[in-house]
Amino acid sequence: MELHPMILQFGGSLVAILVLAGLALALKLGGKPTLKSEADMIRAAAEVEDGFKIARSSITRSGASALARDPAGRIMVIKRHGNKFAGRILTSRASAREEVDGLVVNPDEAMFGTVRLSLTDAPYWADAINKL
Amino acid sequence: MPDFSPTQYAVPFFVIAILVEMIWSRYQSREAYEPQDTLVSLAFGLGSTVAGALFGGLSVAVVIAAYQYRIFDFGEQWWLVWWAWPLAFVLDDLKYYWVHRAGHRIRWMWAAHVNHHSSQHYNLSTALRQTWTGSFTFGLLFALPLVLLGFHPVMIGIVGGFNLIYQFWIHTEAIDRMPRWFEAVMNTPSHHRVHHATNPRYLDRNYAGVFIVWDKMFGTFEPERDDEVIRYGIIKQLGSFNLLWSVFHEWIGMLSDIWRSPWKHKLSYLLREPGWTHDGSRETSDTIRTRWLERTGKADDQSATPVANQNPIAPPQEAA
Repeated sequence: MELHPMILQFGGSLVAILVLAGLALALKLGGKPTLKSEADMIRAAAEVEDGFKIARSSITRSGASALARDPAGRIMVIKRHGNKFAGRILTSRASAREEVDGLVVNPDEAMFGTVRLSLTDAPYWADAINKL
Repeated sequence: MPDFSPTQYAVPFFVIAILVEMIWSRYQSREAYEPQDTLVSLAFGLGSTVAGALFGGLSVAVVIAAYQYRIFDFGEQWWLVWWAWPLAFVLDDLKYYWVHRAGHRIRWMWAAHVNHHSSQHYNLSTALRQTWTGSFTFGLLFALPLVLLGFHPVMIGIVGGFNLIYQFWIHTEAIDRMPRWFEAVMNTPSHHRVHHATNPRYLDRNYAGVFIVWDKMFGTFEPERDDEVIRYGIIKQLGSFNLLWSVFHEWIGMLSDIWRSPWKHKLSYLLREPGWTHDGSRETSDTIRTRWLERTGKADDQSATPVANQNPIAPPQEAA
């Protein structure tokens, strides 16, 4: 059976893609950055909204996610995405529920997903988010 | 008639160059690449070639039809008119500037182009984040003046291919600055990092493909500064590695806005700038820049370290 050149080209490209992506894994590229300090929070929050002023913030024990509130009462959730951070300013459609090991924040955006945070002050944030 | 697609020949070079940059980042900065992000970028590239093959036919038919109405005729053996090639390359790059600018300033066009900006990384694999949905915009119209001037669609396709190949290598943080004369005329990694940035001062700047002079001519040039770390991606980072969501998210958002908005605003959601809303509930690049200027009030500070020097990949010295 003779394959159409375009199918061959597609197949070859697909193999090259998988090899390159596999190589990125094998080389251990990427990493898992963590939020450790106020400066880290400011940088991560700026990724979500330039100039976001942090009045209060809480970082999870793992440093993989965080919540921040600005002086106007707006709340931002931040999560690790690959080896970067992404986040959302929460709206009134967002919700939060406490669980045994912390807090689950749902920004009401399916493709962004929920964010699980292991926090000592989870009740404060749950209350604040559900009152938005 | 020449039967030649430069981008097809360039694919092995793309693969090898990404491989080299990956190995380099392994030893200099592992953060420069992220395996999932890389996989999405590469899948974008492959998907765009499939989309082009599936949906590009209409565009080809339109330009061939338009060619019948050309003002100048380079003859039956148009490919032997040597000076037409560099002229076509330059004019095609001018066309690229405007179609690219439209790609950032008109939401319909942005829906297709946002793909290219959807990574928070900036490496050679990012260059392969090419659109799947360009055939569903009116970008083709920007090529019609060239066709009507008499440049054969195949010639435009070939020079456009070389244009795309040129743009591949500028998607890197590994090169700081090129020699001054080169930076003055050509698009470079430094100029294009600015274009991929979400920092307010850099939004909607440096649309150039090959020649940066277009931005300087049309008032959209912004040099890379030494005192500001670049954040790459889009204003509302996706926070997802879902390929299909990356491809279609802006189309879904735009069509949803059009569906839900009052009749008198529907067309604006199609043709106005990304972020525009009839109730002002979102921000455009202009409002973000204005807010940033009001907040900082100092746009001209210059100090500290160049962006590339903040990236461990890049050596501290200038690029060769």
